Amino acid sequence: MTGVNDMMTKQSDDVIVKTLSRLLIPFMQIYALYVIAHGHYSPGGGFQGGVILGASIILLVITYGLDNALRKMSEKLNTILCSTGVFIYAGIGVLCLILGGNFLDYAELDQILHVGIAQARSLGILGVEVGVGVTVMAAMISIFLDIATGGLPSKEKNIQGKRA
Amino acid sequence: MEVTILVQATDESFEILEKARERSKDVLDIAARLTSEAQSVQRKRVEAIFKGARQTKTEITRFTATFIILFGCWLLLSGHYDLFHISIGILCCGLVSHATHDLLFANPRAGDMRVIVKRFITYIPWLLYQIVLSNMHVARLALGPKNLIDPKIIEFKTKLESDISLVTLANSITLTPGTITLDIRDGVYYVHAVSKKTAEDLLTGEMEDRIAHIFMEADHVYVQDTLDMAPVFVALK
Repeated sequence: MTGVNDMMTKQSDDVIVKTLSRLLIPFMQIYALYVIAHGHYSPGGGFQGGVILGASIILLVITYGLDNALRKMSEKLNTILCSTGVFIYAGIGVLCLILGGNFLDYAELDQILHVGIAQARSLGILGVEVGVGVTVMAAMISIFLDIATGGLPSKEKNIQGKRA
Repeated sequence: MEVTILVQATDESFEILEKARERSKDVLDIAARLTSEAQSVQRKRVEAIFKGARQTKTEITRFTATFIILFGCWLLLSGHYDLFHISIGILCCGLVSHATHDLLFANPRAGDMRVIVKRFITYIPWLLYQIVLSNMHVARLALGPKNLIDPKIIEFKTKLESDISLVTLANSITLTPGTITLDIRDGVYYVHAVSKKTAEDLLTGEMEDRIAHIFMEADHVYVQDTLDMAPVFVALK
C-alpha cells in the first residue's frame, strides 16, 4: 500500500509524457465542456463530458503526481463539486415540481424564464446536464483518488504543502 | 580660592560638553539608522509593487493567450454561432483558461512567440517530405529482394535544452517511419532504427538543427537567424 502511495506522489520523469500532457489538458477540458454544452444537439451530454473532464484531472495526477494535482483540485473542492452537481439536478427537478408540474417537467420553467415552452425545455435540459457533468467529474476523480491513495483517509500532509 | 573654583567650573563644563557631544552622536547615529531603515523598507515596498505588477502582467498575458487559443478551438468545434452558444463558449473558455493558464504556457519566452509559430509552420512541409521519403525507404525494405533490415538502438547526445524542443524532436523521429524514440534521459536520445540508412539519416542531425532553429536554442548560431535579421539591419541603415 505504501508502494502505491509512493508511486502516486512521484512525478513522471519522462519529459515527453509530461510536456504533451501539459499541452493536452486544456484542450481536453474545453472538449469536455463542448460535449456537455452541445449535448442537446449532437451525441454526448453530461455523463460523457464529465468523464472527459475527470480524465483530464486523472492525467494530471498520473503525470505530475498527486501533490501537484491536488493543489489544483483539492479533495475538499472535489467533494463540494460532487454534491453541487446533484443539487443542481435535483434543484431543477424540484423547481418544476414547485411550479406545478411533474419532477423534471421542464415546460413549467417557462413561468420564470419567459422564453417559450420549447426553449424552456432546452434550457432545462442544459442545466440538468451541467449538474450531471459536474457530479460525474467529481465522482470519477474521487474514485481514482481513493484507488490511488489505497483508500486511506486523505493525505493531508501531502495536500497542505507541508512536505511538498 | 577663586582660581580652584574657576578650574573646577571649567572641568565641569568640559565634562558637560563631552557628554552632550556623545549624546548628540548617539542621536545622530540613531537618526541615520532610522533613515536607512526607512529607505530600505520603502525600496523593498516599491520593488514588491513592481514585482507583483510584473507577475500579474505575465499572468494576464498567459490567461489571454490561453483564452484566445481555447476560444478558437471552441468555435471550430461548436458550429453554432448564435449569441447563446457563443456566450456559453466564452464562459467555458474563461473557466478552463483560469484553471490551466499555467499549464499551456509553463515557461513562455516573451516576444519571440510569433517567430516560433512562423518557423514551426514552415517546418511542417519539410517533415511531411521526410515522412514520404522514409515511407518509400521502408516499403523498399519490406518488399525488396535483399534483406537490408538491420534493427538496432542508437544513442545520441542532443544540444537541445527546452522541454518543448526535446518533445518536438522526439515526436518528429517517431512520426518518420523506420525510427522510434524510446526514451530521453539527461539529454541523450535512445532511438530504435530499422535499418542502417534510417540510422545514418538521423545521425546527420539535420532534423535537430532545424528544431534548434525553430525554438531558437541559445547555443545555436544558425545561418538562417542572420538571414532573418538582415532586413532589420537594412531598415536601420
